[in-house]
Amino acid sequence: MIKFLEINLNHPAHYFSVGPFSVSIGNLTIILAMMVIFSIALFAPFPDHEHSRRSAKKGDKK
Amino acid sequence: MTRKLSTVDPSKKWSGPVREYDLIKELVIAVVVVGLLALSLAALFSSPDQKALTMQSWSKEAPADFVQTAAGELAGTTTSASYGPPYNHNGDNQNIGPVNLAKLAGVRIPIVPADSFVIEPLKLQTSDSTQAAIATWSAASETQRSDWANAYADALTKDGKALTLADPTGKFGPTPTLVTALYGMATSGALDGALTTSDSTLPTNFTKPLLFLADSGTYFPDKAGAEHLGGDQWGVMNETGSWPGQSWLWLYSFWYQIEPFKSSGNADILVMSLMGLLSLGLILLPLLPIIPRIPYWIPVHRLIWRNWYRKSAEKV
Repeated sequence: MIKFLEINLNHPAHYFSVGPFSVSIGNLTIILAMMVIFSIALFAPFPDHEHSRRSAKKGDKK
Repeated sequence: MTRKLSTVDPSKKWSGPVREYDLIKELVIAVVVVGLLALSLAALFSSPDQKALTMQSWSKEAPADFVQTAAGELAGTTTSASYGPPYNHNGDNQNIGPVNLAKLAGVRIPIVPADSFVIEPLKLQTSDSTQAAIATWSAASETQRSDWANAYADALTKDGKALTLADPTGKFGPTPTLVTALYGMATSGALDGALTTSDSTLPTNFTKPLLFLADSGTYFPDKAGAEHLGGDQWGVMNETGSWPGQSWLWLYSFWYQIEPFKSSGNADILVMSLMGLLSLGLILLPLLPIIPRIPYWIPVHRLIWRNWYRKSAEKV
């Protein structure tokens, strides 16, 4: 089952090169994924966003 | 001159709004999510399974390169023979200004390639011809050994493909017998065991086989180059196959790609010193005069806490 699902990465990587810079597609994917997660962390509201807004409106100080 | 960095007095107790925050709940969720993610990705992508390079694989896949390198070890012309500390006194190694850190530390892992990689392993062999060749080699002067081994190494390199060469005039001395015996030992796998267990009974010390492999003319560099693991290929960041590697080491790797580091014989120590300085800057970040002003120019924190700042503005 695991073998059936497995994606084979055991072959030479592809590289993206510009001037002296060279990065494998695997590394580039991870870097872009980290940037996406960072953006989500910046822009996504906190899970208790609505609760905190209501609390603040009521002047709820704990 | 004083700088007004914040209107909040840190010595006074916070009197603004507070909110409940369940740290344990967040920790449990984070551990479960990351654990499931790790298991799923491991099941989907598996892990790199590149076979280790050994003396056996080298001697079988690139036999001519192996015998040429073995002859070079006897001649003392390989990289490890002239490396310097911590292995021997035959090189200067790297300097930072007038300071040579390797020399200061001294020769801590003494290795004489001709003895460590060739003669000592061959002493484990029972062949009479091999033992006779070792005896002849050991009885000869340094100059004589060097003449024999250099002549044989040059002849093998000139031929390019030969694994052994005839010696009707005797100018190679016992070198062909020693190199051929070592080649036989390598193809059988015995050399890997002999090199890793020469200093201890457990095969845990790979210093000798790694140094020997690194002396290879084409086999080792070609394997590394094919996997983009060379120093001039951002190799520190890369993994074998198509798996992502150590992308967080990009800054270490970056310096090796540009001058003056790229062509410097002292690149390693220069890069490590530069990274040490930059790391010191990171540690001293709060003390640097310009750094505390950055949040005022790039207010990312206002984006994260935008509700708080919006409500504060509404109140005003």
